[in-house]
Amino acid sequence: MSHRVLEGIAEVARRYLDWQGPVHREMRLVEDLELDSMRLFVLAAEIENHFEITLDESEEGNLETVGDLADLVGRKLGV
Amino acid sequence: MSESAVEPAAEPGTLVGQLHRAAQGAGGLRLLDRRLEETWLGWAELEARAERVAAGLTALGLEPGERVALIYPTGKAFFDAFFATLLAGAVPVPLYPPVRLGRLDEYHRRTAAMLRAAGARLVLADPRVARLLGETAALARPALGVRRLDELPDGSPAAGTRAPLPADLALVQFSSGTTVEPKPVALSHRAILAQTRALNASWPGGETIRHTGVSWLPLYHDMGLIGCVFAALALGTDLTLLPPEAFVARPALWLQAISRYRATVSPAPNFAYALAVERVRDEELEGVDLSTWRVALNGAETVAPPVLRAFCDRFARWGFRREALTPVYGLAEAALAVTFSDLGRPFVGRRFEREALAEGRARLDDAGVEIVSVGRPLAGFEVEIRSEDGRSLGAARVGHVWVRGPSLMDGYLDLPEATTKALRDGWLDTGDLGFLDEGELFLTGRAKDMVLLRGRNFAPAEIEQAVDPLPGVRTGCSVAASWLPEGADGERLVLLVETRKGISPQDAEALPERCKKEVLAAVGVAPDEVVVLEPGTLPRTSSGKLRRQESLRRWRAGELTPPDAVGPVGIALAFGRSTLAYARAGGRRGRG
Repeated sequence: MSHRVLEGIAEVARRYLDWQGPVHREMRLVEDLELDSMRLFVLAAEIENHFEITLDESEEGNLETVGDLADLVGRKLGV
Repeated sequence: MSESAVEPAAEPGTLVGQLHRAAQGAGGLRLLDRRLEETWLGWAELEARAERVAAGLTALGLEPGERVALIYPTGKAFFDAFFATLLAGAVPVPLYPPVRLGRLDEYHRRTAAMLRAAGARLVLADPRVARLLGETAALARPALGVRRLDELPDGSPAAGTRAPLPADLALVQFSSGTTVEPKPVALSHRAILAQTRALNASWPGGETIRHTGVSWLPLYHDMGLIGCVFAALALGTDLTLLPPEAFVARPALWLQAISRYRATVSPAPNFAYALAVERVRDEELEGVDLSTWRVALNGAETVAPPVLRAFCDRFARWGFRREALTPVYGLAEAALAVTFSDLGRPFVGRRFEREALAEGRARLDDAGVEIVSVGRPLAGFEVEIRSEDGRSLGAARVGHVWVRGPSLMDGYLDLPEATTKALRDGWLDTGDLGFLDEGELFLTGRAKDMVLLRGRNFAPAEIEQAVDPLPGVRTGCSVAASWLPEGADGERLVLLVETRKGISPQDAEALPERCKKEVLAAVGVAPDEVVVLEPGTLPRTSSGKLRRQESLRRWRAGELTPPDAVGPVGIALAFGRSTLAYARAGGRRGRG
């Protein structure tokens, strides 16, 4: 299941953030995925659309890596 | 604006008075979510809600004139908190909520710096934001704490309201949100009302059209709050608001909302027009009609001619009128707008000779650089171009843009020195450079050190300090600057970095990429270009301070050379890499 979450994040990154490289759990959102503050907005919104979940700002604080984000999405999906 | 005053009903002199007058009518705010579902907040309902909250603020011990920071997304609670603060005689300071998925440590430092600069006694925050603000509160220690509206004590409504006077402060807004020298701009009720009066007198069609606006602009930004909300409040009309994050995620929502509510006025900064061209898909515009959109203001950052043309071409099929695009000029210190280009006429770009501009003269030249006119001063405003030493310059001479008008700030809050520098004999030094041609203002650059990207202002020092800890960087010897390259769709950020003597070739080679990541992590935007320089290359003042604008000018002119012309190998290498990075950044144009 967590593999599917990671795949979903990778798909969002490809479709909405023009990210063409691989996506690993260890990658940092800002430094490695090169997301500026506006693109972080887009990522958050498209993750919500893709997984049909609502993220709460207070849970988003200090997410650093793709893995952190995948775990948060996983918790929301109950997987 | 009736000259034959039949009934002497006093014109309200404050935002509170305007809210009370608007509350007698049926207008209000239509708040949309990202599915475009509506919540209605009538001016009357807003006044009643704000009175209840104001009673709580007074019961809490808030005193007239004290500052209250407000941290809310676009929604009812922002307006409750804003007008309650005014009704309690206090001064609202809207600040931005944390960026989604962003780094909180940076947010805490920045917000704490702004709270201290504004002398905020209380922070009112959205429940979701309030939970995150512990560290900010620990850093800034507002005396009355960080509170949600539902945590305020009960108070008696009668005791809650203290009518402010026109000369009282109505708003403190930051000219740039930063940890380094944040500058809180203090605006009176009188200034804000003068600004919205000038705006509302500018809309085309006079009394024959009842204008209605759509805005996704953040409420902690003057273009959203003063230009949209207060302009609608002054007339008691309706305004439709979208949350900024909804626009960023789906730019088509902006155009859909304009079409659905038949909006006549909707402003945005340059980057938003570029984002719409880039990201809106045809299928998202089914049934959309943009022909009602009479005034598409473009301001708050440098206007790029290619973006204007691309937007007109892209959306003409959906009825967008070329003449609607209206480049404008303004700044936080003037409460927003100073000049508007002619409404009802397509935007004007003229070409000027590059060499002459560099020498301070504007001369038309078909092969020259294209600059967009930002128009003429609004009613009651004046623009004057002055030399470095303050002499008034004639037409077609490039100089410092000074403005005078009824909506200038009182000053920077508690910063008398900065205020004296900016305000002189009723005139404001905007820090921008430009010239007048046939009475229209053309901007050529900035004298002030400010980086302006995607509608956001950054202090260069914040960007420069981010790279200080990197191996091989000479501490305190970097320059960050932004400018609009010819043909680009927005300003670009360049970082000029001096290295330490004896930096290893590996460190030198890795430096541009490392700088990029550090800056991105620290301020949320990455430099488009990083230029690695030998120690002593950047120009300085006689007291040793870096001259940022001169550094930028020399670099653009190819005149940035090390003090002694040896060892350019490492530099050439770094140049190659940064050019590559620049090309890549260019390839992702409009990425946001």
